[in-house]
Amino acid sequence: MDVKETVLSILNDLTGEDLSDRMDEDLFATGLMDSMDTVQLVLELQEQLEVDIPVSEFDRKQWATPNMIITRVKELQ
Amino acid sequence: MNMEIISEIDRNAALHPERIAYDYLGQQNTYGELKAASDAIAANITARYLDRKRPIMVYADQQFTTIAAFLGCVKAGHAYIPVDTHSPNERLTMIAEIAQPVLTIATAALSVELSMPIMSPTELAMCIQNPEQQPKVQLQPVSGDENFYIIFTSGTTGQPKGVQISSTNLRSFTDWMRDFKLPQQPRFLVQAPYSFDLSVMSLYPTLLAGGTLVVLPRAESENLGTMFKLLPSLHLDVWVSTPSFMAMCLLDNNFTAAHYPELKQIFFCGEELTNQLASTILERFPDVELYNTYGPTETTVAVTAVQITQALLQQYSRLPIGYAKADTTISLVTDAPAGTEGELLISGPSVSRGYINRPEKTAAVFSTQGGKRSYRSGDLGTIAADGLVFYHGRTDFQIKMNGYRIELEEVNHFLNASKYIKQGVAIPRYGADHKVKQLLAYIVPEAGALSGTQLTVAIKAELKQMMMAYMIPQRFVYRDQLPLTANDKVAIKALISEVNDHA
Repeated sequence: MDVKETVLSILNDLTGEDLSDRMDEDLFATGLMDSMDTVQLVLELQEQLEVDIPVSEFDRKQWATPNMIITRVKELQ
Repeated sequence: MNMEIISEIDRNAALHPERIAYDYLGQQNTYGELKAASDAIAANITARYLDRKRPIMVYADQQFTTIAAFLGCVKAGHAYIPVDTHSPNERLTMIAEIAQPVLTIATAALSVELSMPIMSPTELAMCIQNPEQQPKVQLQPVSGDENFYIIFTSGTTGQPKGVQISSTNLRSFTDWMRDFKLPQQPRFLVQAPYSFDLSVMSLYPTLLAGGTLVVLPRAESENLGTMFKLLPSLHLDVWVSTPSFMAMCLLDNNFTAAHYPELKQIFFCGEELTNQLASTILERFPDVELYNTYGPTETTVAVTAVQITQALLQQYSRLPIGYAKADTTISLVTDAPAGTEGELLISGPSVSRGYINRPEKTAAVFSTQGGKRSYRSGDLGTIAADGLVFYHGRTDFQIKMNGYRIELEEVNHFLNASKYIKQGVAIPRYGADHKVKQLLAYIVPEAGALSGTQLTVAIKAELKQMMMAYMIPQRFVYRDQLPLTANDKVAIKALISEVNDHA
């Protein structure tokens, strides 16, 4: 699976939604995710995509939409 | 003979008025200031000549004025009800209807009309700034069996229940906390909101020990980057949180003894502590004293504890919740040999008198035998021959998620009140560690224009107006119909196994 598919599958598991046609949806503003979900998101991304996310630099505004998450993960790979 | 908690805090203020009681992002307040502010608030309340038996609601944020208001109420002889500033208006109205407070102290602007006197944020600030302008009155603080605080918790009918904790109940808890040999003038983490009784584990033990309450405000912990910059600068030596919050902190590889050299003790409460999480902590903080504790709000914060050591981690894959405190006994509701599973019955001086203005609900779970108050916890567990208690789960549909106690029936009540929902039930999804990972909602939607993600977003926005955010299900699953049991109720157990077989 490529990054996009994996990210969408993780988000689907967290939110229950298929977000493939809503790549720029703000997940926090819409209430689809909250701060405890961020923990799961970080853990799943680290495990499934083998990236090391520097959480001490983690700014939620930079990880707010599916597209942004994909971009950040690719930067870290 | 013990001094009343409130007199003991005042004594600390008299002995060391310059010591720091409260630290909110570097904004510090001393014990002297805490005494002056709470005395002024108490004088203001007393001069209103309110019915002493009725409580005062405190619309509580995490700032210094909030704890000054708590102590002010107690000094004026009233119990306080902490309600979170993030509460939806409907919940505030409901709590006011149930508890019939005589006054609300608002530390932040209220966005709802309440039919009772209100002390506004401006009045509160004036009162604290000009203590000499408050009326000269004799204060009669809460004592003995009078209510000290009332904390509202999830109720099965959609109406929350107010647990009444007396001065004697709280004293039993704070006396026990002293046995842990807290550091001198401890610096305690305050992370949980004051509406959640986990915060009491920081609040009174710290003030009685002459220590400092160090706040990690909610807004700071919502963004991981911000939180991890702030945390090491707090110089905490005692940590109090749920295991879930700790799991979030452990995401940072720098969350280790090397970067937090002052940290001496960690107390967990509010939900199950897993062996895996405890192991990670002891790897990162090999010299820390790590305690797992357990207790329903109805028995005052916590009634059992055990230190988690490497030896204990080796011995038990599912960790024990501890031994009962000396003044309390834990037994099974139905007598059985040691090691048999049953419902835990908690008896002792920290057991509440019951739920405010809810005699039937109180009688269903509280009783008094031989002068000893007992509470049927609804928690399933076993008790080993040496008294070590193990938690196994619930007898009912109450769950814990991220440390929050949630009655699934309460969630269902709100789901079914939604204009988008014809029928809905909340279903927990469990992880391999027995803990609830996620709350799902199985929904039969009303016929309408919205569907899919649009519908989910609309329902979540609507529910936010009615219920606490932590109770709102994360995932929504839409169906044309829900499976039913033989007597036409939604087959919740069948849905629970469906969700968890495929998890």
